[in-house]
Amino acid sequence: MATTPLIEAENLAVKYPEGDLALFDVTFSIDSTTFMAIIGPNGSGKTTLLKAMLGLLKPTDGFIRVLGFDAKREYKMIRKMVRYVPQRDQIKATVPMKVKDIVLMGRLLKKPPLRVASGKDVQIAKDALRRVDLENLWNHPFPELSGGQRQRVLVARALATEGQIMMLDEPLSGADHDSQVLIVEALQEYYNENQVNIIMVTHDLNPIHTLVKDVLMLNRTVMGIGHPCAVMDLELLRQVYGPSAKIVELAGHKYCITGDSGFDHHDH
Amino acid sequence: MIIDVITLLLTSPILQRALLASVLVAIIAATTGTFMVFRGLSFLTAGVAHAALGGVALALFLQATGIVPWFDPVLGAVIFAVFVAVMTAYAGERGIAQKMEVAVGVSFALSMSIAVLLMYYLPPTRIPIIWGYLVGDILLLDNLDIVMLLGVAFSLVILFILFKKEFVYVSIDMEGSKAHGMNARGYNYLLLIFAAIAIALTIKAVGAILVYAILIAPAAASNEVMKTVNNVIIGTFIIALIAMILGLSGSFIIFASPSAIAGIIAAVSYIIALQVKRYKRSK
Repeated sequence: MATTPLIEAENLAVKYPEGDLALFDVTFSIDSTTFMAIIGPNGSGKTTLLKAMLGLLKPTDGFIRVLGFDAKREYKMIRKMVRYVPQRDQIKATVPMKVKDIVLMGRLLKKPPLRVASGKDVQIAKDALRRVDLENLWNHPFPELSGGQRQRVLVARALATEGQIMMLDEPLSGADHDSQVLIVEALQEYYNENQVNIIMVTHDLNPIHTLVKDVLMLNRTVMGIGHPCAVMDLELLRQVYGPSAKIVELAGHKYCITGDSGFDHHDH
Repeated sequence: MIIDVITLLLTSPILQRALLASVLVAIIAATTGTFMVFRGLSFLTAGVAHAALGGVALALFLQATGIVPWFDPVLGAVIFAVFVAVMTAYAGERGIAQKMEVAVGVSFALSMSIAVLLMYYLPPTRIPIIWGYLVGDILLLDNLDIVMLLGVAFSLVILFILFKKEFVYVSIDMEGSKAHGMNARGYNYLLLIFAAIAIALTIKAVGAILVYAILIAPAAASNEVMKTVNNVIIGTFIIALIAMILGLSGSFIIFASPSAIAGIIAAVSYIIALQVKRYKRSK
């Protein structure tokens, strides 16, 4: 039986708001249900591709469909299905929000105005926070959290939200090691328990490569697609990341060493 | 002396209007000012206020030359203010934050240039009206001014009761709000357009120069010490109201402009808030 692909792109080209070409000639197809990683060096168009899927950036050429919906025209249908984790620095710390306000936000965004949290919403939000081991910070001010904790709260927000596609933009970037482990475990648990698709933009495949099903390697166009092991090819890595890229094998797993800082859009 | 002032307040229609206007300006500060601080767009307040001045000058010019005799300065102020707010929001949507700053700066400069240019073509008797909008005078408000302020303050209260969460979400995570299916763009424009109208109507009471002090400083102060969105709003209202009332009563004692005194008090409140925050941290 032919099913609708999760993501289907054909000849997709997208420009940055400033006018430079971010992606060109992107053609690929990924089946549902999957845990998918989008990888590539800094400035390779990973975040742009994610935004194109959401209809936040419009294609200048070609198309991209999410579960059959065209991202340019039918973005409203797509956004109904999506739970989204933006890059951590996208969240402004100028508003005095509590951790609970942020986690509940994902649920309330899917409701009509007045957006009142029910007892069930609170229960689900608390449960999501427990999954990233932060339930004791429910009433804590969000701006006072560490970077890793903020990242975990944003993942909890996505876990608490309704929708069959979870999109994460660099959820591990800038997080401390413990936070990284907690986030990966929470995602794995969630992916195994629920029929949800996970699409994760990351500069570093290593922490998640054992649980990822499909990998899309970008460098402004598709460089490789397939299982993690297929993409972890030395020739390909050197082509994308430069001659210093290495693959090491440790305890039966391959790890890529790319020397990539991962701070795509951060001013560190 | 205090008793004299209070008796005067209760009997004089000018002071009654000024007192009511103080409450309304405090409401505008608590809503508009607070969210401009949340959005990190406080400079837009100054930009919009000065743009409104250009609108006032243009309206007076059109009136005086008889091109559009019915063109009220307030209408000019509102049109220019909304135009700048919408242009700024549009520039922000084009993706680059710096562009918003530049957009505000350029509209600011353009409007002020128009105002100064048109002053040379206005009858000398009309020029004090422009100065009136530049420095403001809460004691010169007429009944129509009060009705308009009342209308915009009431609209803002209704909007915030209905859409406060949306405005908060737009402020902290515009992209995430869009991605989850909220019409973040619509709420952003709604907020900025009403803010612009409110600022344009406020300048006659407090002056374009002092709008920033009276709408933004209390919100910035409140945001330093308060821990929830609602408390920031309430705190801003209280600080702005105290500043306005003290400005009004102070103006009888030291014979200065009420909004000048209110502006100083509002600015000082921010410095005090910073000290309070530092003291709390060190404990």
